[in-house]
Amino acid sequence: MTTENPSRWGRLIDEIEETSIAVCLGLMTLITFANVVARYLFNSNILWAIEATVFLFAWLVLMGASYGVKKHVHIGVDVIINLASPRWRHILALLSAAACVAFAVLLMIGSWEYWWPFVTKRAWLETDDIPMPGFLMFLADWVNEGEAWERLPRFIPYAALPLGMSLLTWRFLQLAWQVVTGRLDKLIATHEVEEELEKTVAELREDRS
Amino acid sequence: MTIALLFLMVIGLMLIGVPIAVALGLSSILFFLMFSDASLAAVAQTLFSAFEGHYTLLAIPFFILASVFMSTGGVAHRIIRFAIAVVGSMRGGLAMASVFACMLFAALSGSSPATVVAIGSIVIAGMLQVGYTREFAAGVICNAGTLGILIPPSIVMVVYAAATDVSVGRMFLGGVIPGLLAGGMLMLAIYIVARWKNLPAQPWAGWGEIFAAARDAFWGLMLIVIILGGIYGGIFTPTEAAAVAAVYAFFIANFVYRDMGPFRRPGKGGVALIGRALSVFWHRDTKEALFEAGKLTVMLMFIIANALILKHVLTEERVPQMITEAMLSAGFGPIMFLIVVNLLLLIGGQFMEPSGLLIIVAPLVFPIAIALGIDPIHLGIIMVVNMEIGMITPPVGLNLFVTAGVAGMPMLSVVRAAAPWLLIMFLFLIIVTYVPSVSTWLPTMMMGPEIVTQ
Repeated sequence: MTTENPSRWGRLIDEIEETSIAVCLGLMTLITFANVVARYLFNSNILWAIEATVFLFAWLVLMGASYGVKKHVHIGVDVIINLASPRWRHILALLSAAACVAFAVLLMIGSWEYWWPFVTKRAWLETDDIPMPGFLMFLADWVNEGEAWERLPRFIPYAALPLGMSLLTWRFLQLAWQVVTGRLDKLIATHEVEEELEKTVAELREDRS
Repeated sequence: MTIALLFLMVIGLMLIGVPIAVALGLSSILFFLMFSDASLAAVAQTLFSAFEGHYTLLAIPFFILASVFMSTGGVAHRIIRFAIAVVGSMRGGLAMASVFACMLFAALSGSSPATVVAIGSIVIAGMLQVGYTREFAAGVICNAGTLGILIPPSIVMVVYAAATDVSVGRMFLGGVIPGLLAGGMLMLAIYIVARWKNLPAQPWAGWGEIFAAARDAFWGLMLIVIILGGIYGGIFTPTEAAAVAAVYAFFIANFVYRDMGPFRRPGKGGVALIGRALSVFWHRDTKEALFEAGKLTVMLMFIIANALILKHVLTEERVPQMITEAMLSAGFGPIMFLIVVNLLLLIGGQFMEPSGLLIIVAPLVFPIAIALGIDPIHLGIIMVVNMEIGMITPPVGLNLFVTAGVAGMPMLSVVRAAAPWLLIMFLFLIIVTYVPSVSTWLPTMMMGPEIVTQ
């Protein structure tokens, strides 16, 4: 069950999110691959490769989770809700929506609490290996009393938590609203290849006819 | 007792239709708030450490990506052609070839439902044409598809390795012989049924066709050589092997097989060729594949990350130690223990996604297994086989859903169609459980005996 976004604005946001997911994964693959190449062809390591890939991975999943909510790709168990009458289905959907919102809000609070010290008290704390890109140096004046970093400060990769969880909260609230207004009666996909399967089945039908 | 409450909460939330990831995460957070003085910030930190602290898990997105590039129709077709050339001429040959094709595809992909979609959507139609019943075709594919997580590379094995700090390379090697055994058992059963029911055989196409088909499928099948050879040759880590596999699959799909990308349709040669070759990096197909793989990664990793929060609760509450003590003081031997593990996983596998279940159960039973002298690789393979069975038993068998879609049958008919073959998987589970050397012989021979440091 995919909800098509009718507005141009909605399609634009979709496109941005989908491209970000693709770029994130593409970069992770290229960096890891380049590290192998560097080791065997040039006999050296890209020092920051592993750390950068790990942080990209975190960004991909933590930010991507909200996209998953919007497109109903998170899987769950639908045995009970399929057996329930429409009335009960609605009630169960309301309950699950409430649980999802509670989850996202709690994580959002935790994320901000965790992240905030990294921009204030511990803004000097750097990552292990990732060099500081020059164009971000203006941040030093904002949070680090003008003192320049040699390597990327930790609060930048860690920002995936508060940003991702805030976005997640927003998407779950939207979903909950759709449930309340009766436009949606379940929050989950049944299995991981649902969309791909739909495509294949459609192709098979075409072949048969 | 409070721990029972935690698990009830997880199951309850899942049953009312909350996404699995949220059910795991929310229960753990509420438990933290009620029974421990850990802060919400600590929970957020645990969530982030799923990435920062688990380098092994990074192999998952790369294996998914390699599998998406390899799932373009062309590779599956070539593998099936090769499989039919090899075993098609026996009685029930097409069904046996389907199993063989599933085994080969499993060696390119780490997921079972993906194997069913790729192979099933092609061979089921083929089997119907030569006179197999739909039930027979669906039952075979549904079961053979589960080999996707047993034959390396396997996402579920990466998850087990990350949860228990066992080497991924060892786990992959451990899956090779059980994978061949399970495939062989399925093929043997098909052969017996075929004799009995007089099922059709394909004409023998000759050695020429076998070689031609093998050459055509060669580039795809090289992927497994790169992954396993690279890991065991010490050339790269499993995570790097996965990334190299993804790049290799990208290259093969775009430039050799040309199933996707700028060379899918013929065009001008000459200087324009270079431009076309370069355009592969921003081609629509490339972006689509990256996005598809990214989406699957997000879904899977969000479950795993939340399962890691739950695991954190369990370790904090010293649950693994409590269970170990209880079981050891009750006088459980290895045999009894393995029966309990099997039952636990079979029941859990009905409801949960395999990776999430493994993250939670593996740390619970791992210390007991070590105390009882069970090999970690052996335990891992048992768990994977249980997950396989969970995928083909109702109510939440992933493979059942996918097969129902691919074969155009209602769920219930697929359940019935898969049931007879399920008996073979159970027999296989018993063999794997009580004959440890099936799993441990190859890794021990290739990498020396396992050293347990716990």
